[in-house]
Amino acid sequence: MLSHLILGASSSLYLGDMLFIAISFIVLMALIAKVAWNPVTKMMGERADKIANDIDSAKKSRQEATDLAEQRREALSHSRSEASDIVADAKQSGEKQRTTIVADAQNEATQYKQNARKDIEQERQDALKNVQADVADISVEIASKIIKKQLDPEGQQALINSYIEGLGKHES
Amino acid sequence: MGDPVPTVKFLGLTFNIANDISILLTCLIVFMFVFLLSRHLALKPKGGQNVLEWLIEFTNGIVKGSIKGNDAGHFGLYAFTLFLFIFVANQLGLFLHVQVGQYTYVKSPTADPIVTLTLSFMTVALAHAAGVQKKGMKGYLKEYTSPFLVFLPINIFEQFTDFLTLGLRLFGNIFAGEMLLSKVATLATGGGSWFSYVYSFPIEFLWQGFSVFIGSVQAFVFVTLTSVYISQKVSPEE
Repeated sequence: MLSHLILGASSSLYLGDMLFIAISFIVLMALIAKVAWNPVTKMMGERADKIANDIDSAKKSRQEATDLAEQRREALSHSRSEASDIVADAKQSGEKQRTTIVADAQNEATQYKQNARKDIEQERQDALKNVQADVADISVEIASKIIKKQLDPEGQQALINSYIEGLGKHES
Repeated sequence: MGDPVPTVKFLGLTFNIANDISILLTCLIVFMFVFLLSRHLALKPKGGQNVLEWLIEFTNGIVKGSIKGNDAGHFGLYAFTLFLFIFVANQLGLFLHVQVGQYTYVKSPTADPIVTLTLSFMTVALAHAAGVQKKGMKGYLKEYTSPFLVFLPINIFEQFTDFLTLGLRLFGNIFAGEMLLSKVATLATGGGSWFSYVYSFPIEFLWQGFSVFIGSVQAFVFVTLTSVYISQKVSPEE
């Protein structure tokens, strides 16, 4: 054995020591492996996995959040344009309604005016016609009365009186 | 090394009781340390688990520094145990020297070459075994003739120098530290008056601090070289 060379000066070779050291070291290593090394390294591995997973899921959540924000922004701008459309529509239809109402009113007014004018004309014609008829009647009556009571003064007086009476009657 | 050592013969093997007790004590301290820190493991670490994980990351970092790829994972436990064992073994003798009669029963086990060389032998054996497992016996043997056949004796020689330097470096550092500590202690007690305690106290104090530093660095160096040797054996040929 090589250690002979080094320890040649020593009184004897402690081969037992070598075995003792080797065996106790191996036992120590086995115990440490069982008690600490395996559980701790396992725990460290688990932690590394967990951290990696957390990082992944955080990345995913952030992506989702960004997507949602994007969607929200889109929806917002969409609804804004929709609202402005609605307002514009309402304005337009209101304008249209206003013009129709005004036009209708104008038409109606013209109609009324025309009707009134026509009525007035009709009435005037009627009145004129009545007056003409009356004048004719009266003239005929006067004429007949004049012819009837021409002879005597009494008769003339009576005629005048009756005429006046007739006038007053006619007047009333 | 001049001190007498208590030995026991058992089954034809010679045991140095002092070394064995120190080794057992070191193993016990390391185990208790790791055991107490690894209670209440949780996904969200706190307290002891943080310390333990930091140590594991540290030794894993050493291993990954020289062994590339997936192979690094197989040697993490070995590097971790080796680092803790050598670190505790280096510091053990700095604050604990149990002397009964003429024998010192508890000291730094790494101040004995048989201990450090055994550790280095384990490392080299592991490296060679890993090399054979990774490349097959043929690929493993082929490494010795690279880059040319002429390099064969140099390559073989290198295996022994690796083994020796790894073990003796650790032994030398720790043994020198312990030796000087006991010399300073003798200076204090051998001065003959209380005054010797006064001037040897700061020397002892400083040297002890320096030895703690040396012990930590040597543990680090040993683990680093271990992973370097393993990587030499398992890394693919260029």
